[in-house]
Amino acid sequence: MNSAGKKTLFYLAITFIAFAVIIPMMYLINISISSAIEVNDFPKRVLPVLSHDLSIEWDDESSYYIISRKSFSGEYEELTYSSKFDKIETYLITYLNISKTEEEIEEDFIVARNTGDIIYLNYNKDIFNNFGKFFKVFDGASAALVNSIQAAAITILLSMSIGGSIGYALARTKIKGKDAISLGSLVVRMFPAVSISVPMAVLLVKFGMYDTMLGLAIIYSIPNIGLTAWITRSIFMSVNPEFEEASLVFGASKIQTFKKITFPLVLPAFAASSMYAFITAWNDTAVSLLLTNNNETLALLIYKSMGGSASIHYAASGAILLILPALAFTFLLKNYINKMWG
Amino acid sequence: MAYLELAALKKVYGKDIEAVKSFNLKVDKEEFIVFLGPSGCGKSTIMRMIAGLESVTEGNILLEGESIIDYQPKDRGISMIFQSYAVWPHMTVYDNVAYALKLRKISKEQIDKTVKEVAKISDIYQYLNRYPNNLSGGQRQRVAVARAIAIKPKLFLMDEPLSNLDAKLRVSMRTDLKRIHQELKTTSIFVTHDQSEALSLADRIVVMNHGYIEQIGTPNEIYHDSESMFVAKFIGSPPSNFLTVKVKEREDKIFVIHSDFELEVKNKYKKALKNKYINKEIILAVRPENFTINKKGILKVKCNIIEPQGSHVVINIFVGGEEIKVVSNILTLKTNEEIDLGFSEKIAFFDIETEKRIR
Amino acid sequence: MEKNKKGTVKSVFKSPYMFLVPALLFYTFFWLLPVSLSLIESFTSIDGGFSLENFKMMFDDPLFGEAFRNTLIFAVISLFLQFIFALMFALLINRNFKGSKWFLFIMLIPMAIPPSAVGILWNTGLVESGWINSLLSVTGLQNLIELLGIAEGPIIWKEASGLQAVFMIILIDTWTVLPSVMIILLAGLQNFNEEYSEAARIFGANRFQALKDIVIPIIKPTIITALLLRIISGLQVWLISVMIFGFNNVPFLLERIVFYTDQVRLGVYSYKLSVTYSVFVVAVVSITAYIFIKLTKGKDWSGTSE
Repeated sequence: MNSAGKKTLFYLAITFIAFAVIIPMMYLINISISSAIEVNDFPKRVLPVLSHDLSIEWDDESSYYIISRKSFSGEYEELTYSSKFDKIETYLITYLNISKTEEEIEEDFIVARNTGDIIYLNYNKDIFNNFGKFFKVFDGASAALVNSIQAAAITILLSMSIGGSIGYALARTKIKGKDAISLGSLVVRMFPAVSISVPMAVLLVKFGMYDTMLGLAIIYSIPNIGLTAWITRSIFMSVNPEFEEASLVFGASKIQTFKKITFPLVLPAFAASSMYAFITAWNDTAVSLLLTNNNETLALLIYKSMGGSASIHYAASGAILLILPALAFTFLLKNYINKMWG
Repeated sequence: MAYLELAALKKVYGKDIEAVKSFNLKVDKEEFIVFLGPSGCGKSTIMRMIAGLESVTEGNILLEGESIIDYQPKDRGISMIFQSYAVWPHMTVYDNVAYALKLRKISKEQIDKTVKEVAKISDIYQYLNRYPNNLSGGQRQRVAVARAIAIKPKLFLMDEPLSNLDAKLRVSMRTDLKRIHQELKTTSIFVTHDQSEALSLADRIVVMNHGYIEQIGTPNEIYHDSESMFVAKFIGSPPSNFLTVKVKEREDKIFVIHSDFELEVKNKYKKALKNKYINKEIILAVRPENFTINKKGILKVKCNIIEPQGSHVVINIFVGGEEIKVVSNILTLKTNEEIDLGFSEKIAFFDIETEKRIR
Repeated sequence: MEKNKKGTVKSVFKSPYMFLVPALLFYTFFWLLPVSLSLIESFTSIDGGFSLENFKMMFDDPLFGEAFRNTLIFAVISLFLQFIFALMFALLINRNFKGSKWFLFIMLIPMAIPPSAVGILWNTGLVESGWINSLLSVTGLQNLIELLGIAEGPIIWKEASGLQAVFMIILIDTWTVLPSVMIILLAGLQNFNEEYSEAARIFGANRFQALKDIVIPIIKPTIITALLLRIISGLQVWLISVMIFGFNNVPFLLERIVFYTDQVRLGVYSYKLSVTYSVFVVAVVSITAYIFIKLTKGKDWSGTSE
């Protein structure tokens, strides 16, 4: 095969692989902005549907408007009929995610009545409707969001303070047993969080921390402390002690040196390990399932939202909300992941 | 017919970054060629094109009269020593040397014989069972050499092989490489930015700059008969001194005039100067050792700084505001001592515009 | 000299080991304590004496065998699949072709999706009128499936059971975690000195031989790290199974733990059972990790000098 042909084939393969990732995501996004009617559509559309094509017909005999929607095949299917604009308004927002006021609808629809023709309208969808609905439909969704953030913050605090000091000690002092510490962190990782959570539930009840975010954060910190120690160690090692020594020689105190020299140099890495801690806490479902009763986290709420398929578009919009911060942090972290294993 | 011919070889990266611009070279069998130039001059790119590790944008490479540009690296019959040695860390020294032979489906006994033979030549016999990570840089270098000569290549490529060694080892490895070349007589191409390596190893040196060939010649030609100011400056330590002078003609005699001295040009360049450069500024180039001191010189100067080098001294002198370096074997000279400076016959002139030699 | 008794007390506090004290306390209370508690709980009967009846109870769980089998099959097959694909993609991206940065960016997306969102994503696909059947129908593959007699009408994915369901979960898991394996391998490849494989190609190896003989053995430590982490989390699969098929349908070891802790309220018995399962899972993970390390350990060429 010639090189142009090879190149084409290569890029075809690349495109195919990329689509395997993108297409499911596209469907999820589209479902997350789907209206109640669209959820039952088949086949589902891959590209986001941002508006509806409607046809309005005035039925003179029974004096109501017949509202139809253009389907996938291109034909118009009847949805509902009504003569009352307030009912139509409610219908549009409930079933089609179209938010139009009574007056606007009247203005548009009246043409069909006056002319006697079928009129065709293109109404934009309110794409944030489902996200708002998510918080209404699922009890305690906003509380769950706050909980998730809280659990993540405590996890960051715990892992950074405990893990960071191990990292510092490993990098800057002559402590022995470095191998033991790294072996220890591997062993700790080998115990599934679920396995720890079961006996932990009993302990947390005793300590009065069951169903609290502190209790969750403790479990999240167990694997994370080792990781933080690892990252901070490599960072403290990469900051040449001569930078600090130079600062000391030129007359700065130890505290000044830390504030002005060491801290700014290690800050990006600290941010990176904080993001790791955040992701661990944010993504977890299992531990919060076992260790909370009323105080759910967002991820747990999404897990539980898997009910009937009628509400799956709300669950999907919740999933999108859950994905966004995790996605952002993962990409910010990408470079550090490389460094970590380097 | 040349053994290796590089014909109008060109390499363009991306749309318009020309790393190599129409490179022509003919190499004879058993020759030791050195590509010399500053980093980024395209010398490694050419070597990698010969090896097949880099595609050729334009032009051709002929080995024994046959174009090899469409061949895979493995089918070109070449071997190579890399800058990082590229001695595989997960194989013992023995396996490193034997790997290429195994791929050639040579019998076990023959492999064993060859490995031991080249191990003796490159002096790594006692390390055959060690892993490279337990060897020093110099020993790894020898493994790379052994591996490269084991396959009896048509062409032996070396990409800055000595640059990762410390100064002392570099000099002794240099001698070893020359000895091995004299024994095996494999046609070799050696890339370096170190002029003393180039001078000591090469049959011919190709001096390169910005993807162009500045000069091709024997070490003596390159040093004593530099074609361009670039070569004169790049070769020699300290490099050639440049002084801007003006050409004047007086009573059929040609002089070059500097604010501090006048020098009558009597040698073969007189005619060239007379033809084209009367009343024009040109560059007078003098190698540091081509000055005379206290032997009927033409200007009196003070020794500004003296750097003793053991066998000789390097003297910094100001001539009309320009600093020049003079090498002398008068070891007793003192700072601020006044000397009588003159020029030997071996001076050269360069065109100030083209920076090329005036002949 | 002022170094008196006070000095020695001070020096204890100044000892670098002080940095480890918080960690020591943390892991004693929140790791060692629950771990030993679960060990004790799993080996004692309800009245407190030593007993193996909990394990007997676990083995008698009608779904234990299937859960154990599914977990092992899942871990091994997904490890294999993920390694092959991750290595392939890492090699592709490492070629630095035009657009490779974008390709990497896209390939990393699944890694960033929280597990419960992954559950939702694939649920929206696997329901009968979901996007997977939509995709099949739109691309015309549905016709092909019907033509080949694989299924009549839309496939009802959620009714899959047994190994079929396990394979579906493997595919979903592979989709999700491939990037995290890939990125570790990619880091290994990017740190890999290109001259090693160039040398191999000069000395007679083709691209595949260079990969097999040189690249993979040299980045083996990275590969082992990636796969070890993968096998450890592979043995911990449960969430996707539960979110797609519900409890008890496609059992895994961890699914059992969650089931007995969260779903069954049998008081002390279900607690004992889930603790015992936990101990069992830890044992399985440790033994697998140990075997894995033993199997992959080759001759030590990393050497001692610098």
